Amino acid sequence: MDNINVLIIEDTPVESEALVKVLTANNYNVVGVAENYTEALQLFYNNEIDIVVIDVFLDGRPEGITFAETINVVPNSVKPFVFLTSSKDRQIFERAKLTKPFSFLMKPFNELEILYALEMAVEKFYEQSNVFHSEDQNTVISNNSLFIKKNKALKKVLIDDIVYIEVEDRYCNIITETEKFVILISLTKIIQLLDSAKFCQTHRNYIVNSSKIEEIIVNDNLIILKGNHKVTLSDKYKDFVKNFRILR
Amino acid sequence: MKIKINCCIISIALLIPFFIFSQTTKAIENYFDNEVKEKAREFKEQVNFNKAQAFFLEKNYDSTLVYAMKQLSVTKNQELRDYCHYFRAISFKEKKLFEEAKKEFTKVSPNFKFYYNLKIGLGEIALEQGDFKQALSNFLEVEKQYSPKHYFRKSVLNHNIGVCYLHLQDFDKSEKYLFEGVKLLELEKDSKMLVASYMDIATLYYEQYKDAQAIPYFIKAYNLSKKTNSFQLKQNATLNMAVVEENRKNFPLALTYRKEYETWKDSLNDQNKVWALADLEKKFAVKQKQKEVNVLAAENRTKVAERNGFIASSALLLILFSTGVYFYRQKIKNNKIILAQKNELDELNATKDKLFSIVSHDLRSSVNALKTSNSKLIENLENKNFTELDVLLHNNSNIANGAYNLLDNLLNWALLQTKQAYFYQEQLHLASIVQHVEYNYKPLMLNKNITFNIAVDKSDYVFADMDSLKIIVRNLLDNAIKFSKENGTISIYTRPSSDDFCYLIVKDTGSGMNAATREQLLKNTVLLSKKKDDDAIGTGLGMQLCKSMIHKNGGQLDIESEENVGTEIIITLQKFKNNG
Repeated sequence: MDNINVLIIEDTPVESEALVKVLTANNYNVVGVAENYTEALQLFYNNEIDIVVIDVFLDGRPEGITFAETINVVPNSVKPFVFLTSSKDRQIFERAKLTKPFSFLMKPFNELEILYALEMAVEKFYEQSNVFHSEDQNTVISNNSLFIKKNKALKKVLIDDIVYIEVEDRYCNIITETEKFVILISLTKIIQLLDSAKFCQTHRNYIVNSSKIEEIIVNDNLIILKGNHKVTLSDKYKDFVKNFRILR
Repeated sequence: MKIKINCCIISIALLIPFFIFSQTTKAIENYFDNEVKEKAREFKEQVNFNKAQAFFLEKNYDSTLVYAMKQLSVTKNQELRDYCHYFRAISFKEKKLFEEAKKEFTKVSPNFKFYYNLKIGLGEIALEQGDFKQALSNFLEVEKQYSPKHYFRKSVLNHNIGVCYLHLQDFDKSEKYLFEGVKLLELEKDSKMLVASYMDIATLYYEQYKDAQAIPYFIKAYNLSKKTNSFQLKQNATLNMAVVEENRKNFPLALTYRKEYETWKDSLNDQNKVWALADLEKKFAVKQKQKEVNVLAAENRTKVAERNGFIASSALLLILFSTGVYFYRQKIKNNKIILAQKNELDELNATKDKLFSIVSHDLRSSVNALKTSNSKLIENLENKNFTELDVLLHNNSNIANGAYNLLDNLLNWALLQTKQAYFYQEQLHLASIVQHVEYNYKPLMLNKNITFNIAVDKSDYVFADMDSLKIIVRNLLDNAIKFSKENGTISIYTRPSSDDFCYLIVKDTGSGMNAATREQLLKNTVLLSKKKDDDAIGTGLGMQLCKSMIHKNGGQLDIESEENVGTEIIITLQKFKNNG
């Protein structure tokens, strides 16, 4: 389980310091603090970023919005972002709103508000609303990672690291090669959100990352995965075997 | 000789119309009139009959014909029908339309009260048409049935019979009837008829060459004719005398009679001329009148045109006037509105000024407190009195917080008023928002040792603008803390929500407020001025801002409070609905 990488674009050191302090205290990984537009672009494209916090005004000009507009141009590399602003000026907001998905944070803000804003940015960006504050889900699934709310902060797990998922009641046990943890999400939802080309259900309670399969022992109804994890294969789901080229 | 007799006969023929006229006049006529009037009264509701009889009695025969016909087309009453047919028959006879008259006579039923008149009528028609035999038979029939109850003139009847016999050359019978007629006529003193009768008798004798008997009657007729006013009679009588004298070879006398005859004829002609002249005059007068009428018509036309013009112009004026009135009233109305708006603006401006002064006063005192506090800080720092420093710093932070909140509210108020602020309603997790706001007040509440409970339903999502919702909660919480005593309790919780609304309640156990204050707070655009010199009571700006923002978010504000027990502020917020 990894920390979330945050890029901060903020020209006022006092503000950025406060932000960094809050974020690191909550186990976010601040990749860098950019003070202007070009610096921001450089940091954004040279690092693996999960969320960007953007001050609307850099040097008195709304360059933050320009940045958001710029990254919006390349859809694949766009990441969730939060606008920081101290003014509620309508014109600025109208412009900022065009860079969807739009979430913002008013200055001054407290710890809870910045964390909430980051969560909202993720939810809105991946279009899975009401996740982090609901009582039956704590995970947003993007195409390459799971964003999990753990205590007050978000964590992420790369989907490619997952070996298999074991469903247990309202929870899912995520088993990676190195660790094992529990997330709160329903089976139907996780199947729906995961890439079906990568993950297949082998049993009522098991979802397997097909790239992690080492061996399928059909007679024993057993699948052996990387790291010697053993998963049951039930009759009902045996069909999935057809997805593989079988050597005879 | 032959020619002269013819002349006489012509005169007789000429006289006949008089007989017929006579038949319908005088006392007998009165009886008939009364009888008809009686009938009219009897059939009062028959309008046409009434009119017909009235016109009949006035001898207006054309109208009689019309109304009698109308009556005939409606009524089935035999008696009325008889009367109507009778009216029509007589009318036609008078108008010399004898065939029509005959037809009408035949339509009268035999039960008709004046049926005998009918025979007389037919007889007279026959006489007029020269059918003497037919006339005679009719007259004789009437005579046969004669009884005193029959109201017609026996004299005339006798005369008519006499004339018929005369024409039929039955001189004996003619003589008898004519004399009977004369006898009765002498009693009736009808001089015109008498002249005619005498002449007829004279002609009778003359025809029989009984000149000795004839001449006295001619003279008698001549003398009597002088007393009448009928030129025709005078002329005839004179002519007869002239013929008689001629035949007696008494030419000078004959000449005088001829001359007299000429004069009568002339006078008759004169009369005719006079009539013709009168007619001409009448025509002229009619022409004149026509001219006048034309002039009048023209005048009328011009008058109508004038009137139309007048009406049009008055209508135009009226329209102008009413539009004028309308615009005037509109102007007055506008003025009223403007005045009202002016007053309202003045009031608002006054409130704003007041707010301005209060706010600046507050800020001034805050900054002043900071100033004095800062100088104390410096003093204590020099003295290294660290315990005191801590107290002072906390104090400063409190003052700065208060001032900041005030400024924040002021800014938000201004933004709200000028509609400059970004306002975007979205789905918000109520519990999180409340928690975020509350987070900032934790130290403050800890400071006052206030017990804080939060019980906001985690499943409540509201539809609101995040920033304004935060401002609302912040102000409410701020107030709750401000009015709470040490060790008080503040609770924020939600009430079970309805389908459309969430109820968020901020409850404190503070000083509360009285009903008047509550009313004032809930009223629109009233800012509370400072009362008592209590710092705790602010400008009311916070509450005002809350109220406006709640309304803008489509919610409602309510206050329940009891003095020295606590206040409960209930805000109603729109719930978020997925489908809209």
